[in-house]
Amino acid sequence: MKRKLVLILTGIMLAGSILTACGGDSKTDTTAAADGELEGDITFWHSFTQGARLEVIQEAADEFMEGNPNVNISIETFSWPDFYTKWTTGLASGNVPDMSTALPAYVVEMMDAEAIVPMDDLIDQIGRDKFSESALSEGEKDGVCYSMPLYSHAQVMWYRKDLLKDAGLEVPATWDQFAEAAKALTKDGIYGCSFPCGSSDQMATRFLNYYVRSGGGSLLTDDLQANITSDLALDGIRFWVDIYKNCSPKDSVNYAVLDQATLYYQGKTAFDFNSGFQISGVAANSPDMVDQIGCAPLPKINKDDPDYSAETSNTPLVVWQNSKHPEICKAFIEKLYEEDTYIKFLAATPVGMLPAIKGISETEAYRSNETVQKFIDAEQIIAKAVDMGTSIGFEHGPSIQAGLLNSQGVIERMFQNILTNGEDVETAAQAAEDELNELFRIIQ
Amino acid sequence: MKNKRKQFDYVRWIFVLPALVIVGVLLIYPIFSSLYYSMTTKHLIKPAYDFIGLANYQAVLTDPEFFQAFFTSIIWTVCSLTGQILIGFTSALAINRVKHGKGVYRTLMIIPWAFPTIVIALSWKWILNGVSGFLPNLLVQLGICGTLPQFLSDNSMVFITLIFINIWFGAPMIMVNVLSALQTIPQDQYEAAQIDGASHFQQFYHITMPHIKVVVGLLIVLRTIWIFNNFDIIYLITGGGPADLTTTVPIYAYNMGWGTKMLGKSSAVTMLLLLFLLLICVVYFTILAKWEKEDK
Amino acid sequence: MRKKKERLGSGLCHIYLIILSVIAFFPLVWVLLSSVKSAGELTSNPTRFLPKHFTMGNFIHVIQDLGFTKNISNSLIIALSTTFIAIIVSCMAAYGIVRFFPKLGNIMSKALVATYLFPPILLAIPYSLAMARAGLTNTRLGLVITYLSFSVPYAVWMLVGFFKTVPIGIEEAARVDGANKFQVFVKVVIPLVLPGIVATAIYTFINAWNEFLYSLILINSSDMMTVSVALRSLQGAEILDWGDMMAASTMVVIPSVVFFMFIQNKIAGGMTEGAVK
Repeated sequence: MKRKLVLILTGIMLAGSILTACGGDSKTDTTAAADGELEGDITFWHSFTQGARLEVIQEAADEFMEGNPNVNISIETFSWPDFYTKWTTGLASGNVPDMSTALPAYVVEMMDAEAIVPMDDLIDQIGRDKFSESALSEGEKDGVCYSMPLYSHAQVMWYRKDLLKDAGLEVPATWDQFAEAAKALTKDGIYGCSFPCGSSDQMATRFLNYYVRSGGGSLLTDDLQANITSDLALDGIRFWVDIYKNCSPKDSVNYAVLDQATLYYQGKTAFDFNSGFQISGVAANSPDMVDQIGCAPLPKINKDDPDYSAETSNTPLVVWQNSKHPEICKAFIEKLYEEDTYIKFLAATPVGMLPAIKGISETEAYRSNETVQKFIDAEQIIAKAVDMGTSIGFEHGPSIQAGLLNSQGVIERMFQNILTNGEDVETAAQAAEDELNELFRIIQ
Repeated sequence: MKNKRKQFDYVRWIFVLPALVIVGVLLIYPIFSSLYYSMTTKHLIKPAYDFIGLANYQAVLTDPEFFQAFFTSIIWTVCSLTGQILIGFTSALAINRVKHGKGVYRTLMIIPWAFPTIVIALSWKWILNGVSGFLPNLLVQLGICGTLPQFLSDNSMVFITLIFINIWFGAPMIMVNVLSALQTIPQDQYEAAQIDGASHFQQFYHITMPHIKVVVGLLIVLRTIWIFNNFDIIYLITGGGPADLTTTVPIYAYNMGWGTKMLGKSSAVTMLLLLFLLLICVVYFTILAKWEKEDK
Repeated sequence: MRKKKERLGSGLCHIYLIILSVIAFFPLVWVLLSSVKSAGELTSNPTRFLPKHFTMGNFIHVIQDLGFTKNISNSLIIALSTTFIAIIVSCMAAYGIVRFFPKLGNIMSKALVATYLFPPILLAIPYSLAMARAGLTNTRLGLVITYLSFSVPYAVWMLVGFFKTVPIGIEEAARVDGANKFQVFVKVVIPLVLPGIVATAIYTFINAWNEFLYSLILINSSDMMTVSVALRSLQGAEILDWGDMMAASTMVVIPSVVFFMFIQNKIAGGMTEGAVK
C-alpha cells in the first residue's frame, strides 16, 4: 500500500513540476557590473502595436543591446484602450515594466501612487531648453519632472476636399458653419461627422472639450471641480447632440477612438477631429483618398474669436519605480532621442508624431520625408495647435481630477443618457457633474 | 481485521482528497476572503485599507444604480432563460420527430455552444455593425428598413439584441440535453398510447413530460445561475452601455472593482449576488426534490 | 388522414429546423467568409456573400505582424495543463464518490453543483489579490490554478455519470484475481469509461480555451495573453480591421467547433445524468 502512496505522491509532484514549468517567466536578477558597464534586463511597454513604429523601436533596442552586450531589452506592446487596466492591475500585483510610454492624464495618477521615478537628470543631459516648458510641466510635481515627452500631436479638424467642393462649401471656420456643412454633406451613405461617445474611451470628453475651449472655458473649475453645467458647456452638449442627431451614424454612441477614425479612413464621414495620425490611417485604408483630405484649425464660436487649441497630447516616456535598472532605461531613452534614431521614429508616422524636442523639425532629414512635404500645411497647422494647447483639463496644471475626467467615462455616459434615453440636457449634465465631483472627493 | 479496515478508509479518501482540496482552496477560501474584503475599504492600487463593517453593504443597498443593475439582471435572466428553454425544447422535440437529417440538424445547431464568448461578441458585432454590417444592410436592401437599423445602440433594440444572442448561444445546450432525455423514453409507451387513441398533446403531457421533467428542471437551475452570473457576453458586446441600459450586476461589480478601483465595495456587491442566487436555488431545489419524490 | 397529418407535421418540423439551423450556423459562415475578404471589400459591399478576391492576407497579417501564434500557444499550454490536472483529479474523485461513498456521494456531488453558484466575478477579486501576493499574476501557472476552480467541479460532475455505468461485478471479479483498488481503477475501470473521460477532457479543454474573465484580470502582459483577451485587444490596435479580427476569430473558433463535433454525442449524457440517475 505504501508503495502506491509514494507513486501517487510522485504523480502529484510531477503535475506540480509541469505547472511550474509553464509558469516560467520569472525575471532573472542581474546587477550592474562594478566597472560602470550596463548590465541587466529591462522590459519596455509601448503602444506602437504594429507597423513602422514598432520596427523602429525594435531596431533601436537591438542596436542598444549590441552596444551593451550585457543588456537585454524585452519589448511588449499594448493598445491604448487596455492601458489603464493594464497598468493599474499591474501596479496592484507588481507587474509593471521598467519603462513605458504613457498618457499625460495617467502620469498624474502614477506620480500620486509614487509609481514612477524622477527624470530630471536625463532631461538635463539631453538639454532642458530643448523641450517645451508646457510639455515638461505635464509630468511635474513639486518641481520634479517624472516624465518626458516623446512626441507631440494636437487635435485639428479634418475634412474632405472633394466633398466640400462638390457641395460648393467653404472649409468651416465656426461651429455654426461646421454644423451646416456637416448636415449638408450627410447623404448618399456619407455621414457629415460622427459623434463618438462609447464609455470605454474618452472621445465625448474630447469633443465636448473642443467646444468648451473654443469659448475660452474649461471642463474643470479653477479649484478643480467638474464644470459641465456652465452655459458654455451646456451649449457644447447641445451642439454635439444636434450633430449626433443629424449627421452621425447612430452606432457612434458605442464608438471608441478607432471606430470613429476608421469611418473617416474609409471615406464614410466628411469631417472628423484628430491629429496628424489621420494621414497614415487614410493612406493605409484608402490610398486613393489621400489627396482629398485636408485639415484646418478647430472651429470657433464666433469668427473673430481669438485663435485657440483645445487639446495637445505630449505622449511621454516614464521609468517605473519598480525597475531594478533605471540607469539602463535612461541610457536607452537617451538613445531614442539621438537625432538619427529620433527622426527615423517620427518618420514612421510622418505628421502624426511631431518632434517634442527643438531643432528636429528644421533638419533636412526630417523635412525631406515625402509625407511631410506633401502635408506641410497640415504640419504647420498642427504644430501651431501643439504650441497653444494642453491635455484635457490641464489648463489649471496637471491634476488627478483631469485624469479622472478622461478615464472614468462619465461624460460619455452622460451623452449616452441624453442620446439614447432622451434625458434632458441640464439634468444629465448636473448628474454627470455630481458624479465626477463625488469621484474627485473619494480620491482625496 | 480492524487494522485492515482502517487502511481501507485511508485509500478511499485518497481518491477524493485532491478534488476536495482544490474545491476547498479555490472555492471556499475565496468566499471567506470576499466576505472579509466586503467589510473593508480595499482599493485596487493603494495598499492601505480599513475595516468598516457593513458600510459597503449600506452604500450598495442605497445606490439606485445597483437596483437598476439588479432589475436589468432579472429581466436579462428571465427573458434569456425563457427563450433558451422554448427554442431548445421545441427544437429537440422537432428533431426527435423527423425521420431524416436528425444528425445534420443537431450538428449544425450545436455550433453556437462551441463559440468562445469573444468570438460570439466579435461575430455578432460585425454582423450587426451599424455601418457595414451584413444584417442592417440586408434589411435596407430588401426594403424592410428605411435606414440602417442600429441593433447595438438603439435604446429600444440593444437589450433585445443581447437577449437574442444569449438565446442563440444557450439554446443548443438545452436542445442536446432534452434530446438525450427524450431518447431514454421507451417507445412502447407511445405505441400503447396511440392504440388507446391519445392525441399528440396527451402523449406529450402524460408520457414525455414526466420523463424529462427532472432533466429540464435541473437545466433550468443550472442555466439560471449561469445566465445570472454571466459577465463576458454583455461586457464584450456592449460593455454595459449605452447609458447603462445593459449593465447587469456582474458588470456593475466589475466597474466598481476595476473601473473606480473600489474592490471592497465591489466585494459587497458580489456577496449580495451570491446570497440572491442561494435563495433562488433553495426554491428551485425544493421544487425539484418534490418532483423527484413524485417520480418514485 | 392520419398519415397526411403526420407528413404535414413532419414538414413543419423540417422548416422550423432549417430556419434554426441557418441562424445557428450563419455567424460561423460569416466569420469564415469575412476572414478571406480584403478590407476594402468588407466595407464597400457589406451584403456580398462570397469574396470577390479570395485573400489569405488577413491571416498572414495576424500571424506574422500581430504575433497571434504566441497567444495561441499560451492558450494551448494553459488549456492542456488545466485539462490534464483536472481530469486526473476528477477521475479519482468521481470514482471515489461512486464506489466508496455511496451515501456521502450524493451530498458531495450536490456540493459540487453548489460551487456552480459562485459568481466568477466574486471569485475574481480574491483570486487577483491572492495571485498578486503569490507572484502568480501574469503567469500561465496562475491561470491554470484558477481554471481548476471551474474545471474540477464540472469534470467530476460529468464523470460521476459515466462511472455509474460501470457494473460493480466486473470490478469484483478483478479483485478476486488479486488486484488492489488502484489496479482495478487504472486497469479495469478507466478503460471502460475511457470514451466518457475523453469527452469530459475535451469539454474541459474547450471551456479553458474559451475562458475570458480570469484571463482579463490576471494577465496584463501581451506576451502572456490568451487568445480571448488578445482577440479583444485587437479591437484597440492601431487600425480597426474587421478582416484581421475575423481571421483571428477563425483561428480561435475552429478548434472549439471541431472538438465539439467529436463529443456531441457524449456531452449531453454527462451533464445531467450525474445528478438524475
